[in-house]
Amino acid sequence: MATESYDAIIVGSGAGGGMSAYHLTRSGLKVLMLEAGRSYDPRVETPMFNTNAEAPLRGVGTPDKPFGFYDATVDGGWQVPNEPYTVAEGSEPFTWWRPRMLGGRTNHWGRIALRFGPLDFKPRSRDGLGYDWPITYDDVAPWYDKTEKLIGVSGAAPPRNLLNTPDSPAGCLMEAAPPRAFEIFYERAFRAMGIPVIPMHGAVVTGQMEGRNTCLFATPCGRGCAIGANFQSTTVLLPPAMATGNLTIRTDALVYQVDLDKGGKAKGVSFVDRKTGEHHSVTARSVVLAAGSGETARILLNSKSSKFPDGLCNTHGMVGRYLMDSVGLGVTGQFPALEGLPPTNDDGQGTQHTYIPWWGYQKQKELGFPRGYHIEIGGGRRMPSMGMASLLADDEVSVGDELRAKLRNRFGSTIGFDGRGEMIPNDDCYCELDPTVKDKWGIPVLRFHWRWGESETNQAAHMVKTFLEVIDRLGGKPEPHVETDGRKAISKGGEMIHEIGTARMGHDDTDSVVNQFGQSWAVPNLFIMDGATMVSSPDKNPTLSILALAWRSADNLVTIAKQGAL
Amino acid sequence: MTDAPEPYVSKIDRRTALAWVGVVGAATAVGAGVVVYGPKMGGARITRGYGTDPKLTKPEKAPWSRIMIQAQLQTAAILADHILPASGAAPSASSLGVPDFIDEWVSAPYPDQVKDRPVILNGLNALSAKVLKASAADRAAALAALPASKDPTTHAFWKKFRRLTIGAYYTTGAGFKDVGYIGNVPRTSDPGPSAEVKAVLERELAKLGL
Repeated sequence: MATESYDAIIVGSGAGGGMSAYHLTRSGLKVLMLEAGRSYDPRVETPMFNTNAEAPLRGVGTPDKPFGFYDATVDGGWQVPNEPYTVAEGSEPFTWWRPRMLGGRTNHWGRIALRFGPLDFKPRSRDGLGYDWPITYDDVAPWYDKTEKLIGVSGAAPPRNLLNTPDSPAGCLMEAAPPRAFEIFYERAFRAMGIPVIPMHGAVVTGQMEGRNTCLFATPCGRGCAIGANFQSTTVLLPPAMATGNLTIRTDALVYQVDLDKGGKAKGVSFVDRKTGEHHSVTARSVVLAAGSGETARILLNSKSSKFPDGLCNTHGMVGRYLMDSVGLGVTGQFPALEGLPPTNDDGQGTQHTYIPWWGYQKQKELGFPRGYHIEIGGGRRMPSMGMASLLADDEVSVGDELRAKLRNRFGSTIGFDGRGEMIPNDDCYCELDPTVKDKWGIPVLRFHWRWGESETNQAAHMVKTFLEVIDRLGGKPEPHVETDGRKAISKGGEMIHEIGTARMGHDDTDSVVNQFGQSWAVPNLFIMDGATMVSSPDKNPTLSILALAWRSADNLVTIAKQGAL
Repeated sequence: MTDAPEPYVSKIDRRTALAWVGVVGAATAVGAGVVVYGPKMGGARITRGYGTDPKLTKPEKAPWSRIMIQAQLQTAAILADHILPASGAAPSASSLGVPDFIDEWVSAPYPDQVKDRPVILNGLNALSAKVLKASAADRAAALAALPASKDPTTHAFWKKFRRLTIGAYYTTGAGFKDVGYIGNVPRTSDPGPSAEVKAVLERELAKLGL
């Protein structure tokens, strides 16, 4: 590795790092990818078709595996061994999901692949809140097209022209699997409320796609996919990048610093080997940070020098600022109308087959909050888990045949409604280096600050109101103790695992860290290609946009490299 | 002729049983799948979890030592079979190893399970006196009285034990069959619900005015 000459070092192997590596290597650049976690191969490590009975504790979540035993996440979750983070005193709760594996969070993500819309890039122009991006939807649209065609996204439908919910051009998407019984069922309630229900855009190959396997319509995507039918960096981006011969991957390499040469350009990075504890420095003609918004900010803040005493690219105190997540909460209902349906295979394509995009863009004044949320809805006769007894009320005492009959009758009769909403960046949400706490290797860790704004808590209250109305229209019974106060019902900061925006893009170095191509203002051969560059946090889940922006930014890097300007 | 139900025989495999013998000390492996429990006699109890990177494709048995004693296990079998006795083609809870699962659960080192441990073990201890050496009539009465108990400890035990039993039962293949779960099989396409299902749905939606 030491003798190789690299055009770029990419830090991170998830959506941003994987896509950057895909494009740079296929454009002929020599790339060294550094991943903090271990090597990981979904083809042989994915527990496809395993039942809960085969897992310890029937697969329930534990502190070792917070999303359940079979969740793909390796060595991580809300806490990573040896790598703490802190939350400032007086802050609202913040929680940070990290894996330590090749491919990062693309291995377990929800595969919901929604485009941001035109309004999402210019939110301040629309309502005076938050900030505008330096780019428009039209700038990114061709990259969304390319990304959808590359990763495989389902959800094709005739154009609907819904406001701020872009239709993908013909040829970008495959058809989603048809709506399941519960999806047909809930659609009627929304229709009665004048709210459209449309096919979900899911990063799952549902039809014929060259070079890819089609979904088996079974076994959850969150475990990963051994046949590569959904999008994971490890199955879709890294293998073709490796096939070019231009990619070297080093795992267990925890990067903590960007190194500068005397002229102030990036000459490489320093990392600690998680296994041996040894420190290494590697060099390249450019550096791409794609370690995830939190870790990317941490690397910049830990890269201190006489020119950058407060951290690299942080002369104007912008690094770590404008940290955002999605607003989230869920309400579950049980529906007598769905009881006793004939047994059906509802395993589906992994993502929801349909969803509800935000419908209130033209009613914001009467709603009492700006921006909006989409609704992700789960239900059906899914593989039984330890939660099976939730089909019974506490005071139901039946046993034996009566119990069996009740469970059989109610199996598949619950539906969970989850809102995912836009958060407006505010001055109380940011991360910085903790002044005292360090990780196992002596590297300062992040300290988070969090406070939801009224825009978000009012939106959360509206989610609950909407879900309760839908449940009522469908003749259902909501779960006991539904919290209707938005301030209490809202998710924790970071809990939606959509943390973005710690090194945002902008027009100049006084209000941003990077330009529209992720190129840092302070160091011209240092690029950021993950969610850190995002300026707003629309309700749409960020992964597809991270991929599209990374591709666009990597293409710009290639142009610079080919001009010999690195 | 006896009133006592068949004694519960653990459904764990021989390899695990032998591993436990080293730990539990007084347990005796007498053959494949058969373990006779006795009171613990020393030996270091393993209290570690499965870690943050367990093998997922072929999960290993949970590494922690089991702590339930024979009386608790037998009582668990009686109560689990009271909740889900054999019925037609559906096997009983104990024949699916539910008592072993309860043991795995209450023995686990994780916070949720540690919280459940005294609820389950104290409940089983209190119940064992009423069911293990009781007449059939007394045993039936003791079991039937559980859900209606006004004692909050007993009620909490009943709710938790039933929850664990149902979860353990229906996550097995036999449970899938009993409840009508027909998924987890590879398919070339997802055809969506049948005409029959759609017809039922339409009838129900019509009743709701939808």
